[in-house]
Amino acid sequence: MPGVIGAFHELDSTVHAIEELKKKRLGEVTVYTPTPRHEIEDAIDAGPSGVRKFTLYGGLAGATCGYWIAIWISDYWPLVVGGKPIASWVPYTIFAFEVMVLFGALSTVVGLLINARIPRLTMTVGYDPRFSHGDFGVWVECSPENTAATESLLRESGAAEVRSER
Amino acid sequence: MATTARPLDEKTPRSPMRPNIASSDIQVPAVRDYEQVDREIIGTLHPTVAWFMALGVAIFFLLIGIGAWCWQIYSGLGVAGYNPPVMWGVYIITFVFWVGIGHAGTLISAILYLFRAGFRTSIYRCAEVMTVFAVMTAGLFPILHLGRPWKFFWLIPYPNWRFIWPQFKSPLIWDVFAILTYLTVSATFLFVGLIPDLAVLRDRERNPVRKRMLSVLSLGWRNSDREWRHFARAYLFLAAFSTPLVLSVHSVVSFDFAMALTPGWHTTIFPPYFVAGAIFSGIGMVFTIIIPLRKFFGLKHYVTINHLDAAAKLALFTSLVVGCAYMSEWFVAWFSGNEFEQSFFANRIWGQWWWASAILYTCNMVLPLSLFSQRLRRNPSWLFILSLTINIGMWFERFVIVVPSLSHEFEPWQWTSYRPTWVDYSILAGSFGWFSMWFLLFIKQLPVVAITEIKEIVPPRLRTRHDHGVGPAGSHLEFEPTTPGEFD
Repeated sequence: MPGVIGAFHELDSTVHAIEELKKKRLGEVTVYTPTPRHEIEDAIDAGPSGVRKFTLYGGLAGATCGYWIAIWISDYWPLVVGGKPIASWVPYTIFAFEVMVLFGALSTVVGLLINARIPRLTMTVGYDPRFSHGDFGVWVECSPENTAATESLLRESGAAEVRSER
Repeated sequence: MATTARPLDEKTPRSPMRPNIASSDIQVPAVRDYEQVDREIIGTLHPTVAWFMALGVAIFFLLIGIGAWCWQIYSGLGVAGYNPPVMWGVYIITFVFWVGIGHAGTLISAILYLFRAGFRTSIYRCAEVMTVFAVMTAGLFPILHLGRPWKFFWLIPYPNWRFIWPQFKSPLIWDVFAILTYLTVSATFLFVGLIPDLAVLRDRERNPVRKRMLSVLSLGWRNSDREWRHFARAYLFLAAFSTPLVLSVHSVVSFDFAMALTPGWHTTIFPPYFVAGAIFSGIGMVFTIIIPLRKFFGLKHYVTINHLDAAAKLALFTSLVVGCAYMSEWFVAWFSGNEFEQSFFANRIWGQWWWASAILYTCNMVLPLSLFSQRLRRNPSWLFILSLTINIGMWFERFVIVVPSLSHEFEPWQWTSYRPTWVDYSILAGSFGWFSMWFLLFIKQLPVVAITEIKEIVPPRLRTRHDHGVGPAGSHLEFEPTTPGEFD
């Protein structure tokens, strides 16, 4: 999809550009920032992250797995001591807790990878190394007929450089 | 991600930037813009002669340790100075010591993150790296302590044809899983936090081979709003998982002792006592590492006196908690009316191990009280000296827990002594060499201060005049050169 990229030196210009682009609905907006900023987050107003579901399900799976491993192994090779229960849930809770944390943390990372769409083998169109350094980038995925309007809007908002890419 | 850095509201008086106090929004006033952050932190990655010399010393100590271990494998575990009933000695002491060191990293990176303690930003990467390498070092000791170290994998519940499975009611098995989980989660937390910094390095790298490696490691990170949004959430959840993990790991390590009936060990105070001690020793090691680092890397305006002051308060607090635990131990021994317990504690304090107890109480309870003085909290030289004494004191704390208990159990005919041999000392020195080698290799390959998180607390360039010390041209307003915390 072709689009227009605008590089900004200043944060407030970037926020202004995002707000104007959203108002005029010229295309899908992606913002590149060297560090996360609440101002940009508020301007984009995206929904909640889906990572939380991965964390929850990973943690539950880990706790279940932790109890299951310990109980299954105790039943498989019973060591009966003084007529006490073979599967003792109190000490197994320690093991289940550790496995819950392990699975929950790893599934959170999997959730990050899936939701953020990384690893990425190639850089996407519009990305510039300046955006990890100090500048802010606004990439607008728009149809050819909206290109001129988008370029003009980005320049008016204070972009230091604007270019079309495909 | 790390700290909120919203611009101040309109009601804030138009004044120069305020002193760099830990609770303020802006904590690194001498860092003016994003370009400076990249330039100065990436500038620390070039190897120097001093770094090569330090690495050489670390490898030398590591080789001493490896040599001693080879001798122990050839001769048997007997060369390590163990005699019944003292079958745990320097190896287990050093294992607990390194696990404890590993606690400050996750405390600073996860718990202080959840509490939004701003001073963590400059020091957390260093502490996290320290954690991962300290736990790696700790993990070696149970293996070193095995007569047949090549059979260590028997602790893992893997399917085998003889249907031999671990005993999940044993604290030693809990320990294996706690340490492995902690190592995995700490390493994951470190790596996730590193991804944006790896992208910064990738974009500034000119060597094609290194650029390719950094591209792979950074997972093609582009700094897009989508990536940051999910990253912030994932980081928060990892911190939320790491927090109870920190508390659980050393509790589980304490169960290695507390589950036994041995006098001095069989007590319910051990889990909180061990956790507080671990955090205390970890903060001590953070000081030992970060104070020379900020000096030799020229990072005094990133890790300011205010950062050290705030961390010193944490050290003081944990020292008081640990001191309280020591006194509770004495009280419980006296109040319980258990004569074995009372005899053991009398022996620990006035008997054959009085010197070890004296070192322990002096280093962990008495000397840290100096941190009540703000002047000493803000004196890096004193903090460095104190951190060395804390490290020594915390090693002796574990010595006093392990050796006096085993050498003074219930029956008087069992009472004995313990003397480490050259093999024990060599492997102890080797563990410091191993830890230092990995740490030194890390600090010249990857940034030891988090680039993107520092950028979060640096005010961004703005087109219009703003109220928090940024001029109309986007430059920062001048502030008093004597601002506390800017330089020492």
